[in-house]
Amino acid sequence: MGFAKYQEDIVSRWVADNRSKAAPRRHQRQAPIAATAATSNAVNSGQAEATHQKEKPVSKLKEFTMSSARPLPVIVLADISGSMGTEGKIDALNDAVAEMVSTFSEEEDNSAEIHVSVLTFGKGGAALHKPLQPAHKTTWEPMSAAGRTPMGEAFALAQQMIEDKSIISSRAYRPTLVLVSDGVPTDDWQGPLQNLLASERASKAARFAMGIGAEADNKTLAAFLASDESRVFEAHEAREIRKFFRWVTMSVTARSRSAAPNSVVAIEPVDLDELEF
Amino acid sequence: MLRSTYSFGASVVGPLHQREQRPNEDAWLRSAGSYGSLVVVCDGMGSRPEARRGAKAACLAAREAVSRWSRVQGAPLSYLAHLVELLWRLRIYPVDPGDAATTCLLALACPDGAWVLGGVGDGLAIAKTGSNLTIVVGQRGEDFGNETLGLGVSKGSGSWKLVTLPASVEDRVAVLATDGIADDLVPEKINDFCDWLVVDFQNLKPADRWRQLMMELKDWPTPNHLDDKTLAVLRTTATSQGPSS
Repeated sequence: MGFAKYQEDIVSRWVADNRSKAAPRRHQRQAPIAATAATSNAVNSGQAEATHQKEKPVSKLKEFTMSSARPLPVIVLADISGSMGTEGKIDALNDAVAEMVSTFSEEEDNSAEIHVSVLTFGKGGAALHKPLQPAHKTTWEPMSAAGRTPMGEAFALAQQMIEDKSIISSRAYRPTLVLVSDGVPTDDWQGPLQNLLASERASKAARFAMGIGAEADNKTLAAFLASDESRVFEAHEAREIRKFFRWVTMSVTARSRSAAPNSVVAIEPVDLDELEF
Repeated sequence: MLRSTYSFGASVVGPLHQREQRPNEDAWLRSAGSYGSLVVVCDGMGSRPEARRGAKAACLAAREAVSRWSRVQGAPLSYLAHLVELLWRLRIYPVDPGDAATTCLLALACPDGAWVLGGVGDGLAIAKTGSNLTIVVGQRGEDFGNETLGLGVSKGSGSWKLVTLPASVEDRVAVLATDGIADDLVPEKINDFCDWLVVDFQNLKPADRWRQLMMELKDWPTPNHLDDKTLAVLRTTATSQGPSS
């Protein structure tokens, strides 16, 4: 016993260890038994590394492996209809998203690399304002408000993006969808939302929603969340938009730092002014 | 025709488990018997309390299942999948299967020259016959990273992907790997990765081969990787050019 050997796989070693514990030998001259095969492997290979360090060849593995951490995609669905141009809402939204992107870009050495995309819906329908890319490579360009509220188109575009494995690979962690709106959808939104929620990939996304002002259609936003455990964040004034995005930022960064970035970290949207980054 | 079969593998604890002072929750096994040569790689699911136990039990269950299954000529592959699942459940009993959930990938080189390859769950199970690459496990489908089926969480043998590769006069190699490796491989480079494991390791002595592979897995190049990493290779050559272990 003692150290793992090249002939052994870690299962036969484990079995041998258990047998040894069941019937210990009286005269054991060897080194103390390592607690686990993993530990002993580490010890043995550590010695091996020391003896072979001088002649360590350059590995070819880099040629076959990814050069970036697994992505954690965040997709913002932003209402830029004409009504968002009033009471400073679009300016507050621009500032809040820019701050979120900036915070994400400063996150380094985490389990996951945060990627951000922004889809807008307003004049001319739904559009890709920012393609999905690492936050640290994203240069924010402010959105401007005009037109109606084609939310259904935005749902369809988000679904299309999530289902496209050339955009979000299977290596990525579950994406996060963030929906922001201050009004009632002006297109057929129910069909596209049902498709989104029925999509095997898109339905796995973590979802956040914020209704801005008294005119926001919170029932539609609640239907987007489709969960009894989640609630629509209601922003009654422009400065609360920033609070919402700080909550989203906190939740996403907690995931990217966690050991299991696929799990949605439950952070309650309380005391949002006290959140530190 | 004179044929030479050899297998090797290694497993290292990932940075996450090192940080949390948890043991390796992957397991692998190489074995030979009347059934031929076998390698098995299992990845205990990280969030499960008995993941380590589940992975080790799955390797042993796979060996036992292969031994029994191979005694009945022409037995369906689905029987092998059923056997692994049942024997695994017996080995972990009374632990709840959900608490010990694990993936299970295997490659078996039968005495008649045919191979069986595949398993349940994510990771990589590929074979290269001559220049022809067969990927049985390696494409995630609709899943995202770290989502998988496995023993204890899937619904029966329907979740298994197992194929038989007919006997061939050409050299054949199978590579099994847990998702800690598979998810970081560039999909277009899997063929080259397979070649590298053959060319760079075939002439090493078994001890050096293991040492070299351990070193490669410990120095995994993808930034911020977390998972335990386990890899096993099974190779048959048409001549005696390969190592004989």
